[in-house]
Amino acid sequence: MIRITLAQMRRSVGRLAAAGIAIVIGTAFVAATLLAGNLITRSTYDSIAARYAAADLVVESAEGAELSPAQLESVATTSGVVSAAPQSLAYQGLTHGNRTIYQGVIPQPDDPRLMPLELTDGAAPSAADEIAVPPDVAERLGLGVGATVDVVRDVPGDPETGELEQVVDPMTISGLVADPKNAYGMSGGAAVVTQDTFDQWGADAAGGEVTYPEASLLLADGADLEAVRAHLATTLGSAFDVVTPDEHAEAAAAELTGGENLMFLIFVLTFASIALLVAGLVITNTFQVLVAQRARTLALLRAVGASKRQVGAGVLLEAAILGVVTSVLGVLVGASLGQLALWVARTGPVAASLPATITVTWQVVAVPIVVGTLVTVAAALVPARVATRVAPLAALRPLDAPTAEKGAGRVRLVLSVLATVIGFALLAGGAALGTVAREPSLGLALGILGGATSFVGVAVSAVFWLPKVTGLAGRLVGSSGPTARLAAANTLRNPRRTASTSTALLIGVTLVAMMSTGAASARTSLTAALDGQFPVDVAVQGAQTDDSGATVLPQTVIDAVEAVDEVAAVALLQSGVATLGDGTSSEEETVVTVQGVDRDAALAALRLDEPVEALAPGTAVVPTEVADAWGLRDGDRLTLTGDAGTVTFDLATSDTGIGEVLVLPADLRALVTRPTTEAMWLALDPGADARAGVGHVQDTVADTGELASVSGAAVERASFEDVVDTALGIVLGLLAVAVVIALIGVANTLSLSVIERRRESATMRAIGVTTGQLRWMLAIEGMLIAGVGAVLGIVLGLVYGWAGSLAALGIMGDVTLSVPWRDVALVAVVALVAGLLASVLPGRSAVRTSPVEALAAE
Amino acid sequence: MDSTTFVPVADATSHRSAPGAAVRARGLAKTYGKGASSVRALDAVDVDFAAGRFTAIMGPSGSGKSTLMHLLAGLDSATSGQAFIGATEITRLGDKELTLLRRDRVGFVFQQFNLLPMFTAEQNITLPVELAGGTVDREWFTTLVRTLGIEQRLGHRPSEMSGGQQQRVAIARALIAKPEVVFADEPTGNLDSRSGAEVLSFLRRSVRELGRTIIMVTHDPAAAAYADRVVLLADGRIAGEITDPTPEAVLAGLDALRSLESPVPDAAAGGPEAGAR
Repeated sequence: MIRITLAQMRRSVGRLAAAGIAIVIGTAFVAATLLAGNLITRSTYDSIAARYAAADLVVESAEGAELSPAQLESVATTSGVVSAAPQSLAYQGLTHGNRTIYQGVIPQPDDPRLMPLELTDGAAPSAADEIAVPPDVAERLGLGVGATVDVVRDVPGDPETGELEQVVDPMTISGLVADPKNAYGMSGGAAVVTQDTFDQWGADAAGGEVTYPEASLLLADGADLEAVRAHLATTLGSAFDVVTPDEHAEAAAAELTGGENLMFLIFVLTFASIALLVAGLVITNTFQVLVAQRARTLALLRAVGASKRQVGAGVLLEAAILGVVTSVLGVLVGASLGQLALWVARTGPVAASLPATITVTWQVVAVPIVVGTLVTVAAALVPARVATRVAPLAALRPLDAPTAEKGAGRVRLVLSVLATVIGFALLAGGAALGTVAREPSLGLALGILGGATSFVGVAVSAVFWLPKVTGLAGRLVGSSGPTARLAAANTLRNPRRTASTSTALLIGVTLVAMMSTGAASARTSLTAALDGQFPVDVAVQGAQTDDSGATVLPQTVIDAVEAVDEVAAVALLQSGVATLGDGTSSEEETVVTVQGVDRDAALAALRLDEPVEALAPGTAVVPTEVADAWGLRDGDRLTLTGDAGTVTFDLATSDTGIGEVLVLPADLRALVTRPTTEAMWLALDPGADARAGVGHVQDTVADTGELASVSGAAVERASFEDVVDTALGIVLGLLAVAVVIALIGVANTLSLSVIERRRESATMRAIGVTTGQLRWMLAIEGMLIAGVGAVLGIVLGLVYGWAGSLAALGIMGDVTLSVPWRDVALVAVVALVAGLLASVLPGRSAVRTSPVEALAAE
Repeated sequence: MDSTTFVPVADATSHRSAPGAAVRARGLAKTYGKGASSVRALDAVDVDFAAGRFTAIMGPSGSGKSTLMHLLAGLDSATSGQAFIGATEITRLGDKELTLLRRDRVGFVFQQFNLLPMFTAEQNITLPVELAGGTVDREWFTTLVRTLGIEQRLGHRPSEMSGGQQQRVAIARALIAKPEVVFADEPTGNLDSRSGAEVLSFLRRSVRELGRTIIMVTHDPAAAAYADRVVLLADGRIAGEITDPTPEAVLAGLDALRSLESPVPDAAAGGPEAGAR
């Protein structure tokens, strides 16, 4: 059978290669992921090891106890030890002008061999007021060697209250220290001060003696490492471990591999398995076609005595060979891509932290090959079973190749419908748990379970309903002309194949749409929540007082800020002080701040209308909590007394209220004789970069020389949106692999169809179908298959995305379900264009068919 | 039917051009391959096919009869010479123009029927007109399906029909656009003798009653006998013709060909037509 299998593979090598690409991509993904995991472990190891420079031993705390200077001294004087340097990193603020950089600082070791950093300019710190800084820090602060930098430290000022006090020490930059071995890569290098200065700072911060978490030791030449180690272990006791730097780095790296690194691997491998699942669908499709095409040969084999088993085993053997070959290729591709990425990355800013070559472990090679081969063989199981069903008699039938299309079973229908129904019920349950019961983690868990179950159901049942959808879509486009009708009819000729091709795309698109929808919902919901807390992009608050002691925002600041480019709307806030009641009460007076703002200006400047919507002459808006504290409710009357008189307002409460009492400026003047302009609300141009806008406002205020504070949610909102967008970008990038594989599947299906329909293409050419019409027919077919998969995927993805948002974000209050129209449109367009492109090559081979072939006998 | 004439080779090449010729060939030649291994499949053929007539092209395997038909129908390009359909010299046309010519002016009937499996009989028949963007002449459609006896089968797909029925649908498809000429390539090759006879009768009726022009390639003397005229081909040349043929006359003509050329049948004759039919 092996000989026959190999011969058959040779005949179908083109088709197998097309399908194999799917496996190559999938396994390359897995291999690249594992390599990335190795890279993280490796660079962590290197970085940790680099921190100890030439040290022979490391003393590290085992039970949280830290080394005291006395203990360090005793370690250093142990026989065989040449030098002992404490390992510690403290963060301090380095300030020059208006710039402050928080930088990790380490003490200068006595022995230069224990120094992990490299002096690139100047000298190492030798006096208490000297500091060596990383070159980029010096550059950012605009300072050079010999210049003075202010080191800002927080020290406990008052031991009673524990309040912190800022200490500023001017220090001289003695030199620049680079970090070529990436020992402190995570903290962007390190500054260096003398051991004494470092100890002093540590003592100041602790309010007592300084302690060290670790120390690195240098041994004398010829000293017995094990003997020193054993001696130290007994003198220091069980509170400390004495290890070699390698052991230490290994342990730390292992911890990472089991922790963060593992999370990373699981996260990315999830996407790799989705890609492999899709690749499996493509393989199943290809083998089904191969078996169908070889039905005659298979029947002949059966007729001359091959058993069912042998025929089935032949198909599986073919899959296994394909799986091994393509998986090996995939590993090679993955490794090459990894190495290429490393070369590219090493030209960038993090070059120092990256090794020159990838680390290939046996797992990187074995895991993708085993998984890839298993997926391929598993994908061929159904086609293999179909192959065993070809009757020997089929070989004797004179005309029309015997068919080997398997009908879909009743069991499959029942199970898949059951999975779909139960899955969607669970999904709804998860959404309900999240919104009604406010149990986000339970809701999300139930939602994921339900989503996965229903999705399996939907994908497995696709063969029953997807052809009907395709038929419907085909009827729609079919009305546009005979070419489209031909294409639509063609998609229905192999409903199973069309269904699984669409399903492969459906999986990827559903996940992409789900992630986009989830992210869009999260973004709008969280932005809404943020707006509710602080509905102003930027607020500029006066910080100086006038003669009467009231806070004022100087007019120069107002004018300057209004002129900033990014500022789209401004509302000025006046304020005054009043007391509750009509001033005759004998009770203690409650002093309140009353703010006056123009309603239209406020509506333009705030992100929410709610806090100012109720403003009207004679109406005061009060935050609900404040009103509650006063025992008042919406619609009650509020009487206030100021230095200009007593006014009674209609009270309106606001859930997202600002300040205490908000009224119109005219009403404020009836209450207070001389209200002052105390703050301004700014709305930034929605198209502008929020960070830059806020920065401009801050600079503008600073330039006026007046005191005013700038605050606002704009930056927070922008950075939050950045986080969501970055996370979404990564996830979509990973899912894109699955979509690409699915699109290869579309192209593969079309090519197979073209090969099968040679005679038909020739006939059509003979009866007058132009080459353009033939190409267009295939293009429509490709777009139909891809379009149906994409549209259904988008709809499913929206449902899953919304359900997930409800489950996860329900606790935050009202979840805004948004449709990421841009992403959705992009996915649909990509699918259609890809369907179109997928038809190009098959179309070319179809039009190359000479019409003469229609006349040829079998 | 009795007045059969066998015209010897020498006379056939000098035969005059009929004024009502639907299809003509002038010095038409086709060579496959290059250099020493080249095969001259068709050697400077001059022949006319009259409009409104049913002509059969006959000859032994490898005689060039299929090549002649491919060139006349614009399916393949000639090495030299000219071929005309009506007044159009098709040997000068490009692929696009040939495609449109086939669509609008030529019909085909294939040995393997070549119906599109996903379409019903009616959809198959009307397809050429729709592809051309035209509207189906319902009266002509009804005439055709009545004549061919497939009115009851219009809603069926090819897989639900017998071979004879499929071929009749194919004939209707070839005639729907009222082409100037219909080429039939071994139309009975895949049919049993009874269905074959029916199909040939329909072809003859469509010439006699519907005024069509049909050129049929066949190796079967009985099939050729349904034609008005038989053109005999041997070694890429016109070897003679028989008007109003009978099966016996055709057989006699073929035998005469063989005895004229060589006493032993050409052993090199092979190719796709060599298969058992």
